[in-house]
Amino acid sequence: MILNKVVYGSVTLLDIVIALVVLLIAFLVAKILSLYLRRFLKEKVAKGHLEIIAKVVSYTIIIVAVLAILPTIGIKLSGLLVAGGIAGLAIGFASQSIIGNLISGIFLMIERPIKIGNSVNIEGTGGIVEDIRIISTTIRTFDGLYIRVPNQKVFTASITNFVANVARRFEYVVGIRYSDDADKALETIKNIIEDHPLALKNPAPQVFVDNLGDSSVNIIVRIWAPSTEWFGVKTELLWKIKKAIEKEGIEIPFPQRVLWFANEPKAQEVRTSESHDSGSH
Amino acid sequence: MFGNYDVPVNIAQEGISLSIQTEGGSLRYIRECLGEKVEKIILTNSSKILINPIEPLSKPKELTPYLLIELGNALVVEPKATQKVFMKFPIEIGVFISKDGDLEILDVFTLLKPKFTLYGDPRIGFICKYFKSDVYPSVPAADCLHEGVIELNITNTTTSWIEVTKAIFNAYGMKIYYNDNLVSMRANMKVKGAQIAESDFIDSPFETEMRKSLELYAVRKLSIASTKSVMELGL
Repeated sequence: MILNKVVYGSVTLLDIVIALVVLLIAFLVAKILSLYLRRFLKEKVAKGHLEIIAKVVSYTIIIVAVLAILPTIGIKLSGLLVAGGIAGLAIGFASQSIIGNLISGIFLMIERPIKIGNSVNIEGTGGIVEDIRIISTTIRTFDGLYIRVPNQKVFTASITNFVANVARRFEYVVGIRYSDDADKALETIKNIIEDHPLALKNPAPQVFVDNLGDSSVNIIVRIWAPSTEWFGVKTELLWKIKKAIEKEGIEIPFPQRVLWFANEPKAQEVRTSESHDSGSH
Repeated sequence: MFGNYDVPVNIAQEGISLSIQTEGGSLRYIRECLGEKVEKIILTNSSKILINPIEPLSKPKELTPYLLIELGNALVVEPKATQKVFMKFPIEIGVFISKDGDLEILDVFTLLKPKFTLYGDPRIGFICKYFKSDVYPSVPAADCLHEGVIELNITNTTTSWIEVTKAIFNAYGMKIYYNDNLVSMRANMKVKGAQIAESDFIDSPFETEMRKSLELYAVRKLSIASTKSVMELGL
């Protein structure tokens, strides 16, 4: 029978077919199970967690299947350990960046400094995390670009996760004229913040005169907002504050400097005497 | 204002203007309230409308299922005791459309100024809808288009005196009842430690003839993990 034909060593064609079938079944089971998990856990688990669970289950099934079929196709796992030493060295040199990325990917999944859907900045690349794969992480920048960052870079880079905490603070400096009523300005700004639903009640906003600047009395405004909403609140409130304080007759001054000219008194004297002369004629 | 309506509907009350008129083979829904105008065309010719108070967590944006009520006066509860108090809670008004028993939310609005707050710290806390209410020994008067009254049974299970300054409720478990004059809820709050409490709702009205509100989360057919809320970061 053709299936009993030896292909190499003691491995027959039947062994290879069995190995391929097992591998195919493993791929199918992994695919079906990850699809089922995604559907079953969709509303019970956060999207980021769900992707990781599905991937871990899928990769585990495939790795177990590959390890299981190796003896069938004549590759002894004990022999692999010996051969692996030499091959590993060669492969290691050739694929050190891939292995580095793979290990970084595993550590990223364990440490989880970022999750899918988070708004982040990874060494100057800002955007939304689209996917965390085993080798790389994909980011959709705020202007809609697709960026693939190798996991090794993500793991070693300094990461700013803008939404890791549920709330965050932002700050403005509002300068008013020295002639304006600072108490009235503080009151007006506090009322505007109080009226905004997404400016959090607690932690309470801070509004205070911070310093007496060269051209203005500087008021610091610190507001907490939900992390998912802070940017919209920040842009909206700044303009509302500007309009509200101007409505109260308070102005935000331009930088100004008073200059005294050294010969000004003399010039003024000349102008004064000229006007007297013309008056006497 | 609350109740079932047949089309056409025309309501003008306390700054709310709501109308549903037949227009050819469809309906035109127009609602104005506090400067906000919503207009929708509904492709049906025979539907029923239900207006009732709903969980106060949709406006201006659905950010959280939690409602935090800050107490105007702190409550000090004796050890191993259960006390009943009343507070007010904010309401939102839901407009539902139904046909053959299949309900769908059409619009949500509120007459109150919404506000959010953070419970706990930014790292492990959570965002809550905020409302401040005094504590009353009996059912207070409340404008049912703005506020409801919640009966809170506080049980101090500890052996120490406990001071309570706020209560957090999970909207997924809210059981709102209403009649022409009152919107109500009943809840339990079990204090388990100086910083820990758990609250849930009782599914029964103040008075027998009150109608149960259609819950927004029930209409959305969400699978709910828990209807309780746990306060672990201070009372």
